[in-house]
Amino acid sequence: MADLALGSVHIPLASIVDILLGNEAEKESWNIILLSSRLPRALAAILAGSALAVSGLQMQTLFRNPLAGPYILGISSGAGLGVAVFIMGFSVLGISLSSSVWFANYGIVISAILGAVLVLLLLMAAIAKLKDIMTVLILGIMIGSIATAFISILEYFSQEDSLKSFVLWTMGDLSSVAPASLKMLFCIVMIGLVAAFAISKQLNAYLLGEDYAQSLGTNVNVTRYLVILVTALLAGSITAFCGPIGFVGIITPHIARMFLKSANHFYLVPLCVLLGINIMLLADIIAQLPGSDKTFPINAVTSLIGIPFIFWIIFRNKKIAALN
Amino acid sequence: MKNILSISSLSIGYDKNNVLSNISVDVDKPKLITLIGRNGQGKSTLLKTLTGLIPAINGEIFFGEKINKELSHKEKSKLFSVVLTSPPAINNITVKDFVAYGRYPYTNWLAVKKEEDNWQINQAMELCGITNFAATNIANLSDGERQKVALARAIAQNTPIIFLDEPTSHLDLVNQSELFDLLHQLVEKQQKTIIISSHQLNLALNYADEIWLISNGELEANTPDFFMKSGKIEALFGGLKLKYF
Repeated sequence: MADLALGSVHIPLASIVDILLGNEAEKESWNIILLSSRLPRALAAILAGSALAVSGLQMQTLFRNPLAGPYILGISSGAGLGVAVFIMGFSVLGISLSSSVWFANYGIVISAILGAVLVLLLLMAAIAKLKDIMTVLILGIMIGSIATAFISILEYFSQEDSLKSFVLWTMGDLSSVAPASLKMLFCIVMIGLVAAFAISKQLNAYLLGEDYAQSLGTNVNVTRYLVILVTALLAGSITAFCGPIGFVGIITPHIARMFLKSANHFYLVPLCVLLGINIMLLADIIAQLPGSDKTFPINAVTSLIGIPFIFWIIFRNKKIAALN
Repeated sequence: MKNILSISSLSIGYDKNNVLSNISVDVDKPKLITLIGRNGQGKSTLLKTLTGLIPAINGEIFFGEKINKELSHKEKSKLFSVVLTSPPAINNITVKDFVAYGRYPYTNWLAVKKEEDNWQINQAMELCGITNFAATNIANLSDGERQKVALARAIAQNTPIIFLDEPTSHLDLVNQSELFDLLHQLVEKQQKTIIISSHQLNLALNYADEIWLISNGELEANTPDFFMKSGKIEALFGGLKLKYF
């Protein structure tokens, strides 16, 4: 609600309730601002918060690493590379994206997911060869750097207008999600979240270690690939629509574990959804500080509130909650 | 009647480096089997191969009429439970929740426990003497207590066969003999087959129905009596003078 109330145009809370209930507002413009700008933005924040928090949780469990998240392992960079290839690559080939809005919208999402899956598959191949988790983490960071390097090359060779639309994507915020694509994002995120919850039992077993998980009837390889798919779906689609949003995916699972004092995914997944939504909405509120005409980039806000929060947790507990 | 476990011409090891070759042994009825051998002789490798955690180099393992490698993870998890020397990676969990992992093969995708599951969990904790700290976080337990919790988890899995890799290594003498006594009872009363590796020669010889002795890349199966009289155990441990009770 607070998220809906804030913005460069002041709208009283009572009117917001009126508009949401379908009544006529005092001013026609309020109606339009709320329903076509602020409501989609808030919904995008809700989807992004829940998706990023849950994909972060899945990555932390998969890699047994408290610093894992869609961002740090280069999955977002992979998504970025996918979009870069799509936007700038097609323009190099002389195909204009403006000819079809449908093609542009869906193409960005699909290419982002493909990019994310590519990075995740590379990581999984690395895991199969290397047993050491820290090595895999370093590899993830390097894969991310390679993706960034490819993006730079594409940027260097691409046309002005496609370069601009790509840079806009990287700065893209929650409000860039059009109501039409919001429906699609909603479907993808819901599938991802339900799937994430559905593999909770396997992930709980996975926490025991691979040998024990296997001896309890869990197919470890299938579990890994499911986690990859879910994460690519969630993180990839959110990155595609809203651009890169950092830290929510890393801190939210830690806060959830702190509250629960347990590593049970049946409770962690729903709690991450709730906390992710709240953290994202809070970040969005801060991004549109009352009375200011401009909004901060959402990515900067999540980092600005996320990092001090991690410091606070560490200094208060002397450590972060055990991962498993 | 088919053998519970039947191993034929089995060779085991890592990456084609044979640790043990040509193992052939049958287990025809429920019994407590102790695996004895010096460090690095392949006790853990054998247990891991039997449970399918590492592939066999050669030969076959039958559980009843089924070949090990044709069994799914799910089928295996209802056939045997296993406790390895490496501790479980998880720490942030209560004793009871940890023991409840033993019921995973039987519960649905939401891991909802039925009456039978709760009964098995409580029974296993009771047998291992850990009911008192059911609500304690396992991170706060001693190594010995954690070993009992690990055993309880395997018992809660309620499988006809249990594999235990050095489950007594952190236990004091009293607890060690209590554990062997408990295993003996599980064999007698619940018709389990338990295969356990241990360095506790005295207890092993005292409680086990059968000894599998590993030395010089070979496995020999026989009764404790046979090994005590043949002097093979002294030979294995380099002429140590052992006293049996």
